[in-house]
Amino acid sequence: MAHDPTESGTAQEHTSGTTEARKKKEFFLPILKGLANTIAHIFRREPNTIFYPEERRAPYPGYRGEHRLKRDSLGREKCVACFLCSTACPSHCIEIVAEEAPWDDREKRPRIFNIDMLRCIYCGMCEEACPCDAIELTPIYNIPVLSREDAIYTKEKLLSL
Amino acid sequence: MSEHATTVTWTLNGKQVESPPGLTIMEAAKLHDLEIPNFCYHPGLSIAGNCRICFVESNRSPKPVISCSERIAEGLEIQTHSEMALEARNSVMEFQLINHPLDCPVCDKAGECVLQDHSYTHGPDRSRFEENKTIRHTKKLGSTISIWGNRCIVCTRCVRFCDEITGTGELCVVERGDRSVVDVFPGLPIENSLAGNVIDICPVGALIGEDFKFEARIWDMKKTSSVCAGCSRGCNIEVQSLDGFAKRIVARENPEVNEWWICDRGRYDYRYLLAADRVTDASAGGEPIDSDTADSSLNDLVSENGGIVGILVDPMMTCEELHLVNRLSSTLSDCQVAAWSTADGEAESFPNGFTISSDLHPNRAGVGAIIGKDAFSTVAKGLRRSLDAGDIDLLIVFAGFPHPDLEKKWIESIGKAKVRIVFSLQSGSWCEGADLLLPSTAPLEKEGSYLNQDGRLQRVRTLIAAGQQPFPSELVRLQALLTHLGERPRSVSSSGVFRELASSVEAFSDQSHSTLGESGCVLSSGKSAVGSMGGDA
Ligand code: SF4
Ligand code: SF4
Ligand code: SF4
Ligand code: SF4
Ligand code: FES
Repeated sequence: MAHDPTESGTAQEHTSGTTEARKKKEFFLPILKGLANTIAHIFRREPNTIFYPEERRAPYPGYRGEHRLKRDSLGREKCVACFLCSTACPSHCIEIVAEEAPWDDREKRPRIFNIDMLRCIYCGMCEEACPCDAIELTPIYNIPVLSREDAIYTKEKLLSL
Repeated sequence: MSEHATTVTWTLNGKQVESPPGLTIMEAAKLHDLEIPNFCYHPGLSIAGNCRICFVESNRSPKPVISCSERIAEGLEIQTHSEMALEARNSVMEFQLINHPLDCPVCDKAGECVLQDHSYTHGPDRSRFEENKTIRHTKKLGSTISIWGNRCIVCTRCVRFCDEITGTGELCVVERGDRSVVDVFPGLPIENSLAGNVIDICPVGALIGEDFKFEARIWDMKKTSSVCAGCSRGCNIEVQSLDGFAKRIVARENPEVNEWWICDRGRYDYRYLLAADRVTDASAGGEPIDSDTADSSLNDLVSENGGIVGILVDPMMTCEELHLVNRLSSTLSDCQVAAWSTADGEAESFPNGFTISSDLHPNRAGVGAIIGKDAFSTVAKGLRRSLDAGDIDLLIVFAGFPHPDLEKKWIESIGKAKVRIVFSLQSGSWCEGADLLLPSTAPLEKEGSYLNQDGRLQRVRTLIAAGQQPFPSELVRLQALLTHLGERPRSVSSSGVFRELASSVEAFSDQSHSTLGESGCVLSSGKSAVGSMGGDA
């Protein structure tokens, strides 16, 4: 049966008195609770701020910060230049140019692997896409740079992290 | 049912359908928009029936039948997705994947791999195989082709291609059972002019072209349907490019022209786009000038010239460009248009009929139809005579040749024009001493159409995205010049120029870029235009 929109309209009007009262309760009660919390903090001894950068907060597990490229047991980059991370990346900030690997047991490796950290949105899609577990987002969050060029992380930099 | 059975009535997945007699189940199903999985089947090759991925259930057989070789018959009932058919195909897939490496991340076929596709629809998501996989060779089979033996599914498409199409028979299957793999005979690498096609037809990433190896991923590339400018045959190609750079060229099916094949010249000959001697900047008297100065200088040189003008077109120009040249010549009071070309190449024919033309110019017929049949002969002779006599005040030369091998006689004559404007793809002696040198677009960078040796008009498309061109194309410059001379209201697209051409040249009437579509159209009078093409003057 089709729903008549006017029906619910009239129904609402009938109960409008009680709705108003409930709205007030739903509105004021949390505000009062929050206020109580704030007032309680006024009398706290401990400060809530920390002295950054001398003091640092430990990120929560799974925090997504700066990237790094991992190495295998022989110290070679794990990355096989499959481009899956750059394909998955929603902000198109990974640039890869592949080359033939100089090792017998591997075929392909990246010659260029650049990540533009200014475009990256730290979503972690690259890490999820990688079939070789070669790229990961570390919990490092303080990554200031002095120029835009410095914000483009090269393969060497990513491997050194 | 008629006495002479012009159609066969059979049942496909419970539905009665009619098909022309003599077709295989796979071909007939395709006509009814049902694609049955296949590896070894190729429409251009003989039926091998060795991969068994095309199994379907038939009412005439207790066991599943292979649809690529079984033919349709009256009353045949085929189930493509019954339990029996699916189980048969799933099992074939499981066998195929037993020794197949998990190479997709580094395999250049990934993204267009038939094995990947079928594995997605028919494959189990994990392997029950616990032994060691067999290792087969990875090696070069020729200067341009390598084989990754582990990925070979021994469908023999490549072997049949070398046997049936080129007749060269370089490839064979060696070893037996799960060790079998494609190889060449010792000391006899695969080197024929159509060899690159085996890369296209290999359904998996076993045969890989050396020039494309590790270059780009399939899904990142932009694909442009165009026509090869390597010879006057006009094979249909697909140019795959990344950021405006051609990465590889593959054949595009056109049953009327090239079927499924292209030659290796057409396949690999895109590198001249980045050749070191390519003209990329305009210059006046040897001094580089910017693009705007070049435009105004072109306009001034032409409009201020009151004397005799000669225009030398090349058969790499599109019909649209040639039409604009025609317009220009009719605007100028005293103007002759002739054509020049490069030396002929070598023609080559193959047993299946594929012929590489000796005429290395994709639009010689177009020059004949638009400029005139004698543009290469009598007019060219006349223009050269006038040049030698020092009668030509302004000469406009188009030299869009990727591999210029021009005759000396033209070079000397060209130098005798009082003022010379040159559009050139590559630098060469014809550019030296030019009053204005302008960069020319290469065939792969043009928008327009070519008329091939059989009178078929086909679209060429640029691989460069709109707005990314490093310099204005001839199409734009010629239109700007005509606007400057008060001839045209404003610039229009190549399709617009073509509409103008269609209304002014009889052979092109009733055509437009949209009627050409993907595979082109034969012009009604195109053949006659091609017929009596004189040699070079
Ligand atoms: S974290 Fe997200 S945005 Fe950053 S590089 Fe990876 S996929 Fe791209
Ligand atoms: S997905 Fe992993 S292996 Fe592939 S290119 Fe990115 S980092 Fe390298
Ligand atoms: S041939 Fe196909 S399935 Fe095999 S590794 Fe290459 S892309 Fe993957
Ligand atoms: S190399 Fe490719 S085309 Fe040739 S048999 Fe193997 S899979 Fe088939
Ligand atoms: S496609 Fe039918 S057996 Fe290979």
